[in-house]
Amino acid sequence: MTINIEKTNDMTIAHLAGRLDTPASTEVAPSFEQLNDAANGMVVLDCTELVYISSSGLRLFLALRKASAAKGGKVIVRNISNSIRQVFMMTGFLNLFEIE
Amino acid sequence: MKLKAGLLLVIVAVLTLEATFIIQYHYSQREIKKEASLRAASELKSAENKIMDVVNQAEAAVRNSIWVAEWCLETPDSLKRIPQRIVSENPVVVGSTMALVPGYSEKYPLYAPYAMRDDETGKIKMLSLATEEYDYPSSEWFTKPIEMDEGYWSEPYFDENGGDILMTTFSMPVKDRNGKIAAIVTADISLEWLAELIERMKVYPNAFNMVVSRNGNIMVCTVENLTMKATIDQIALESDDYKALDRVNKAMLAGQYGEMPVKYQGEINHVYFAPVERTGWSLSIVLPEKDLYSGVRRMAMNVQLLQLLGLSMIIIILRVVAKNRAKYQRINEQKERIENELHIAREIQMSMIPKTFPPFPERKDLDLAASIIPAKEVGGDLYDFFIRDEKLFFCIGDVSGKGIPASLVMAVTRSLFRAMSAHEDSPAKIVTSMNNTMSEANERSMFVTFFCGVLDLSAGQLRYCNAGHNPPMILTDAIRVLPVEPNLPIGIMKGVDFIEQETPFLYDDALFLYTDGLSEAENATKEQFGEDRIEKALHGRKRSSDHLENIKQQVSQFVGEAPQSDDLTMLFIHYLAHVVPAQQERHLELHNDIKQISLLAEFIEKIAEEKKLDETLAMNLNLALEEAVTNVILYAYPKGTDGLVDIDAIVMEHSLEFIITDSGVPFDPTAAPEADITLSADERPIGGLGIFMVRKLMDEVHYQRLDNKNVLKMTKNI
Repeated sequence: MTINIEKTNDMTIAHLAGRLDTPASTEVAPSFEQLNDAANGMVVLDCTELVYISSSGLRLFLALRKASAAKGGKVIVRNISNSIRQVFMMTGFLNLFEIE
Repeated sequence: MKLKAGLLLVIVAVLTLEATFIIQYHYSQREIKKEASLRAASELKSAENKIMDVVNQAEAAVRNSIWVAEWCLETPDSLKRIPQRIVSENPVVVGSTMALVPGYSEKYPLYAPYAMRDDETGKIKMLSLATEEYDYPSSEWFTKPIEMDEGYWSEPYFDENGGDILMTTFSMPVKDRNGKIAAIVTADISLEWLAELIERMKVYPNAFNMVVSRNGNIMVCTVENLTMKATIDQIALESDDYKALDRVNKAMLAGQYGEMPVKYQGEINHVYFAPVERTGWSLSIVLPEKDLYSGVRRMAMNVQLLQLLGLSMIIIILRVVAKNRAKYQRINEQKERIENELHIAREIQMSMIPKTFPPFPERKDLDLAASIIPAKEVGGDLYDFFIRDEKLFFCIGDVSGKGIPASLVMAVTRSLFRAMSAHEDSPAKIVTSMNNTMSEANERSMFVTFFCGVLDLSAGQLRYCNAGHNPPMILTDAIRVLPVEPNLPIGIMKGVDFIEQETPFLYDDALFLYTDGLSEAENATKEQFGEDRIEKALHGRKRSSDHLENIKQQVSQFVGEAPQSDDLTMLFIHYLAHVVPAQQERHLELHNDIKQISLLAEFIEKIAEEKKLDETLAMNLNLALEEAVTNVILYAYPKGTDGLVDIDAIVMEHSLEFIITDSGVPFDPTAAPEADITLSADERPIGGLGIFMVRKLMDEVHYQRLDNKNVLKMTKNI
């Protein structure tokens, strides 16, 4: 699991790649803290290379969404695979995020 | 048969009535005749008495004057006093004379002073009969007494002098001292009163009476034109029954009493006759038989009319009764026949269904029991089962409607099931071909809710197809309703595809199938037995037959007195084979370290590869397994202690089963509340998603605490 955070003028883009399972979630938790700090602006989670996400990963997404909501920012989830889209659907996350 | 009895009854009634009638008629006639005879005799007697009274008076008047007359012979001039006295002193005497024998007196060669009562004044008139025109010495009244030397009553005659009245005269000789007849003393009586007397005697309307003189002259007769105009003899000559009349005539003239039937002018007449002493007369009553019996004949006619009426009524009633009886009998026979046929139909129907239990005594891997409690009518429930190629084929069904049509459809259904399942192993295909056949010629639009199952006894696998029937209960670790596809019932539409389903059926698993006769059994308050009661009734380990008995009892208790309206059919299949199904087991042992989670991906990948699962399914399995195992790793063991998590994957043809076992603290993840996924981001808790996802991703999740271990069983149908 890798996460690359790229900052531009008006947004923060996080490139997620690999499997975001429970151990990986622990690994990437600090990176998500960074994203939470930037949650007053627009944060894009680029999931093009994300192949798997478990509830711990979803929990990170949700925490970011909460921080963003508190700071008046915006979270966009981009390019999720069909499998992950189904998980989002199943858990109601499709309604919590802007999916691109 | 009944008609003959009725006819016999009528005949007996007619005979009895007729016999009594004839006897009664006969006796009545006899009595009437006897009565008439008595009455005639009494009338005759009374008339005779009355006549004798008059006759005696007249005779006495004459006789009592004889001695005076003898005296007077000495002084002929005084002779006229004799008739004068006789008339004046005897009201019945209308006229009297004392006529001297010609030549007896020298002074009066012919002398006959005649005294008579003047009808108008009542005074006595004196006349003389010794006239030239009236030759009294040759008169009968004069000659006869001389001839007979005694008193004599003359033949009746019309008095030519004294007006046209019928008279008769009593005359008696008077002798002188020498014993020589010197004169005749007479007394005339009118016979007018006799006519009145006779008229009064007329007791029957058409009867007539008469008085006949000694010569056979009809003196007085109520038939006017016969009076003094004929003799009986003359009448007899005209009569068609001369002999009888002649006999009567002779008897009467001989002064006899009697009673004789005489046919006169085509009619039978009864003649009653009696003599009047001294006068030589004969009194008679002629009574026409029709008169005599007119009363009894009228009565007879009325009686016969009544009898006829009564008989007609009896016949009508009998006919109506016979008709009704025949009708009711016909209806009853029909009813009996139908009931009998229904009974036979029911027996035939029941004989199609396997009824010997246990059905497969040689098989230790199967405990099967079934039961039909039929409603009153022939119903349309069915079940069937048989074993072929180590597979138990079974079905349960309920035909719409009741009665013969339902039972016929039931028979067809059962035959089709046998035919279609003879070479076909797939329940869906069996049901599909049954449906196609039954939909083809189903003009009455009858349908069958049907559950067809094929239990692979060697693999512990149940495949089934439910065509609109009540879903059965499956008894595994828990009792649940078997998930079923909403297929249409059989017989509704041709060409419909039926979806087949599959579930592992392992050791000690059981299936309970039933018809709505069980779930919809109603008690007196219209409450239904329902699925909950069925589920409760299935608790506890019992033999299949005991399960059914138990349920029967519970239903019977629940229903109470309420009548059973529908067939109640149940089938209980208990699988007892310790067979290892065609499966592959994989095992993975993890320590309670969260990093170990990553090993799950590899574990799943191998299974996915082997079973050629698609990417999404593989990911979902991975996800479910990760969530479940994460739970264990995070919460089962106290922090810092080492613990193991065992993961067993059982890969079967159509399902995957994961069993996660740990020896940690008792923890049932399935008891956690469902996550509410409708909440907004702010409201949603961070946790609680894991077990929610497991439930969503797997078909079955089941937790058990066994041997101080947490055992979580998750099944995914593929």
